[in-house]
Amino acid sequence: MTETYETRTTDVLVIGAGGAGLRAAIEAAAAGARVAIVCKSLLGKAHTVMAEGGIAAALGNVDPDDNWQVHFQDTMRGGQLINNWRMAQLHAQESPDRVYELETYGAIFDRTPDGRILQRAFGAHTYRRLCHVGDRTGLEMIRSLQDRVVQLGIEVHMEVTLTRLLKDGERVVGAVGYNRIDGRFVAFRSKAVILATGGWGRIFKVTSNSWEGTGDGVAIGFDAGAEVLDPEMVQFHPTGMVWPPGVRGILVTEAVRGEGGYLKNSEGQRFMLEYDPKKKELSSRDVVARSIYKEVQAGRGTQHGGAFLDVTHLGAEKVKTKLPSMYEQFLRLADVDITKEPMEVAPTIHYAMGGLRVEAETGATTLPGLYAAGEVAAGLHGANRLGGNSLSDLLVFGRRAGAAAGAYQREVALGSIDERQVAEEQQLLLLPFSVDGKENPYLLQQQLQQAMQEDAGLARDEKGLKRCLNTILELRQRAARVRVPGSRRYNPGWHTARDLRFMLTIAEAIVRAAIERRESRGAHWRLDYLEKDSALGRVNFIAYSDRGSVKLRQRPVEPMPAELAKLFEEPASKAPAPPEARRIPA
Amino acid sequence: MKNGSIVLQVFRGEDSAGQEVRFEVPAVEGMVVLDAIHYIQANHANDLACRWNCKAAKCGSCSAEINGQPRLMCKTRVDEYPDQEIHVWPMRTFPLIKDLVTDVSWNYEVNKQIPGFTPRPNEPVPYRMLPEDTERVYEYRKCIECFLCQDVCHVLRNHDDKSLYYGPRYMVRIAGLELHPLDTERRTGLLHGKAGVGMCNITKCCQEVCPEHIKITDNAIIPLKERTTTDVYDPVAWIGRKLRPRRDELAAGQPTGALGTVRAPQRFAVKDVIRLKSGDRPMARVGTVLPDGRLEIWVLKMKGTQQHWKGPKTIDASDVINNYGPLDHAH
Repeated sequence: MTETYETRTTDVLVIGAGGAGLRAAIEAAAAGARVAIVCKSLLGKAHTVMAEGGIAAALGNVDPDDNWQVHFQDTMRGGQLINNWRMAQLHAQESPDRVYELETYGAIFDRTPDGRILQRAFGAHTYRRLCHVGDRTGLEMIRSLQDRVVQLGIEVHMEVTLTRLLKDGERVVGAVGYNRIDGRFVAFRSKAVILATGGWGRIFKVTSNSWEGTGDGVAIGFDAGAEVLDPEMVQFHPTGMVWPPGVRGILVTEAVRGEGGYLKNSEGQRFMLEYDPKKKELSSRDVVARSIYKEVQAGRGTQHGGAFLDVTHLGAEKVKTKLPSMYEQFLRLADVDITKEPMEVAPTIHYAMGGLRVEAETGATTLPGLYAAGEVAAGLHGANRLGGNSLSDLLVFGRRAGAAAGAYQREVALGSIDERQVAEEQQLLLLPFSVDGKENPYLLQQQLQQAMQEDAGLARDEKGLKRCLNTILELRQRAARVRVPGSRRYNPGWHTARDLRFMLTIAEAIVRAAIERRESRGAHWRLDYLEKDSALGRVNFIAYSDRGSVKLRQRPVEPMPAELAKLFEEPASKAPAPPEARRIPA
Repeated sequence: MKNGSIVLQVFRGEDSAGQEVRFEVPAVEGMVVLDAIHYIQANHANDLACRWNCKAAKCGSCSAEINGQPRLMCKTRVDEYPDQEIHVWPMRTFPLIKDLVTDVSWNYEVNKQIPGFTPRPNEPVPYRMLPEDTERVYEYRKCIECFLCQDVCHVLRNHDDKSLYYGPRYMVRIAGLELHPLDTERRTGLLHGKAGVGMCNITKCCQEVCPEHIKITDNAIIPLKERTTTDVYDPVAWIGRKLRPRRDELAAGQPTGALGTVRAPQRFAVKDVIRLKSGDRPMARVGTVLPDGRLEIWVLKMKGTQQHWKGPKTIDASDVINNYGPLDHAH
């Protein structure tokens, strides 16, 4: 039996109000569609706000040699060539315009003395490429997009969680879920749905992600029949806070290294000089994270199992102007004055390269009517994402998904809502109030996080992954017996009970794909297969739902057209000098 | 902190009813109040409602009143309160939803009324802006919308009706827009009218609680008051003069911790410049404050550029929208 629920009708439903969702909504509205944005938190709190370092775009303002081809190569090389080349190309070509466009919404980036956008060095970017505002770039971006959305009068439904996509045949025609404030059910009926729900960092114990990173979009897309690409590729950011325990995992921006910070071990050595003599601290994130891990394993870690990140040589003035929120964060939370003492850092789960498989041009998933953009989608970053590429990803593909959904909704009529699907979801949602069980949703979540951290984290092997898979399958059983107290009114325990199922689905996909990728590539590091396998380098793994269970298959990586493939054959001597030689003049 | 544990008294309730509930939480080094709340959620009360996102003081979601002080829970260490119970309450300026969650939707409605960034239609893209012009805007754009300034603002907190003033957060937003080097919109009419910049009596409570250390009063509200005054009175005869809003000593001396205990009343003195609600919202000057609180005023009528003060007329203090304080002739 269906409980009464509110139904709202719109042309394009955007789920998620981070950078990708807001940009998609702006574009869909520009295409003439009625748009509704739904988000789990208040507007402006999405995880984009946490982005610190900058947005990568080959403007060439500081290094005039930069162009989209170099950005494209950096992105593909960083992703170990299992990226979707077309996405990488569009991303490199279009990100400059997206940055300029953001300024027309009111954003203000840091500037060069002659008034153009300033750019800073970042890991594995050949040139100084990251447009930034101190270390609060994400805040500037989300606020500008938010202001634009408000200016355009786009409808925003805050604190609503959508937990199931509604289908009319194969087509996605809406979604159903609940209002967090009063717990009432709500359904959206729309011609197209854009998922922009972000990543799944919360599946792990030590993460820089907020509570929202439970992978809802990937999970509901998966449940509806969409394909999940590269789930095994989970990025560790090399530098998260380590001490005190309460702050473990909080991000320390890569901009600290971009501005010239050194990584040192407990013996005071700059160990990155050995692991990557060319790029040093600004090597790609997978390399730096592994290097820190290796130093700790070799007994040269800090007291709390990390490395030192030192900016004391930069001078207090520069640290305070270029890294103000890092200065504040350490002073406040760790009693460390970073202008005088080094920071203690260790890798923290940061980003999911994997996600829903989409078409490069449109962000269309494998289901008609369903689009995805941003971290929820996969393909651009391959096996490892470069810092700064996610913010440009949000804008480039948010816009593309918005435009495509805006065009699609003109061609189709509203689908019909299947009451049976709504009733099923309501039953599932209400189960924790009536089930005969005693499981605590938070404790199950913690057990999952612990298992994923230990066995599916930075260093993986077959034995650990299989152990992890068993834990996940066992937790799946127990998740059905989760019981929560209280009413449906703003009840985080109840919310967590549903999130837990999303997380378990994705965890299973991650682990199953990680077992099958018997090689080390990018962020995926197998202790039992330390080398790259050229055969596996030509495939992506795809997870799909087969009557509720997670199945896996391989899909060949699409070959690059000849003119792009040529870019990777040029002699190494043409590569520019490392960024250290070209510091921005003070 | 006793026996390695801390005691929290957390407000629990729905709508307007509720009380503190005592919880004991094991102390961990460097723990913040939000960690303790999470521990309670996981182990004692799964349904304890609170908002949070980033846990790194970047999103401004976990605002609460901790031992009477408006703070971010993620940024407040429990060891700031040695040997004390920690009282955690929701922001009390906004209607309660449940436990630590309040209905802050009013803020979003106010925000919609502010005209957004408006560049010249033919402004060439990419924009050119000099660093010295952009850097002065950064302070306003640091705002994380935690609404702690709104929570502590006397005007909003002490009036059930929030129709008189948009509050410090939106003064900061307007200041950021007004000072954007490429913005062309004028918001002083709005400030003077609906946004009610004149309502602020400069107690600076908002800037004391700002977790981003934005000098809200000094760098946003006061310049906006000046800008508004200049724009509103320039065409007449007050060019070159500054209106200085009167500092309310009672409220200024009040510690921010003792919220809601002292109500700062609207006070008037002879020579104060005020704006009225009635009629076409004329300006007026206070001639006498009558013992019953009513005011004897002279209303400003302009004839060309000539000022004429008509009066006296007796009005009720509730007919006053803004009190700009006395005119400062020293420029």
